[in-house]
Amino acid sequence: MSIEHSSVEPDSQANLTRRLVFGRHPRRTAVRVLVLATLSFVIFRWALIPIRTEGISMEPTYRSGSLKFVNRLAYQRRKPERGDIVAIKLAGPHVLYVKRIIGLPGERISIAQGQVYINGAPLEEPYVRNRRPWDVAEVTLTAREYFVIGDNRGMRAADHDFGRADVSRILGKVIF
Amino acid sequence: MAVAVLAAAVVAWRSRASPDERAITARLEALRMDVNASTRDGVGTAARATEIGSYFTEDAVVELGRGSPPISGRDTLMGMVARLQPRTAAFRLDLDDVSVEVVPGGEAADVLLTASFVRRSISTGEESLDAHEYALVMTRAGGVWRIARITAIDTLR
Repeated sequence: MSIEHSSVEPDSQANLTRRLVFGRHPRRTAVRVLVLATLSFVIFRWALIPIRTEGISMEPTYRSGSLKFVNRLAYQRRKPERGDIVAIKLAGPHVLYVKRIIGLPGERISIAQGQVYINGAPLEEPYVRNRRPWDVAEVTLTAREYFVIGDNRGMRAADHDFGRADVSRILGKVIF
Repeated sequence: MAVAVLAAAVVAWRSRASPDERAITARLEALRMDVNASTRDGVGTAARATEIGSYFTEDAVVELGRGSPPISGRDTLMGMVARLQPRTAAFRLDLDDVSVEVVPGGEAADVLLTASFVRRSISTGEESLDAHEYALVMTRAGGVWRIARITAIDTLR
């Protein structure tokens, strides 16, 4: 009896390992893994793109090096809104600007002494901590343009990329 | 399952690059590597500038925008590359999202790409990135693709 036990044990151990790895029904497990891999590929390629922020233009809201996601489906049913943080594509989706929308299509935008004005009225921006006295002459946005800017206004305006972005360049909303 | 594999194969077949597109992409990749190689491999500054200059046509024009005057001619460009070598050695050039469209006739091509200049701080080790979008016109002469024009695109205007 004890001899039988010792000869069967390695086999049962292997069976247990196989069961733990492949489950009771290996074929079903394979299908599940395939479905999960496909779903992950589709989600992280076309719906929720992981990005790593670089640079200080969105501080203090986003620190350089932090991991975020771009929801590419965010604007399928609704239009971008003021205050949304969006990803803007350059030549393609691998390098993106991350900026906040402050001006909507058709609006007049200007910045005087660091204060943003929309159609002549000052814009309240609780997310901005430091302001340098930036001055930007008034621009009127077309029906396809949004005005985007980073939250860090403590840096020199010349070092900060901001301005009008065509709606076709907005890849999605930055979340998390 | 078979349908999915077949669909993937069809997509891959349709999205494959033409030999010209592959040649242009390879040429740009070689330029990127030469720029990043800097002078650390022992090749002198002038030799490196000549090497980088070989990727451009003789009458190449580089328009960087934002008030910078255009750089005209390969010789001017090579002179600038040689002068800026000590400064550019601190940067790493990356090229992303390279899209190539060969003009009918096959002797010219329009290229759109994002060029990122990555700089690593010596003190903190942190990398800072400055990315811009560029439109390139490339022409083929004697079987070699060269850059005839680079124009910076203002993503945010």
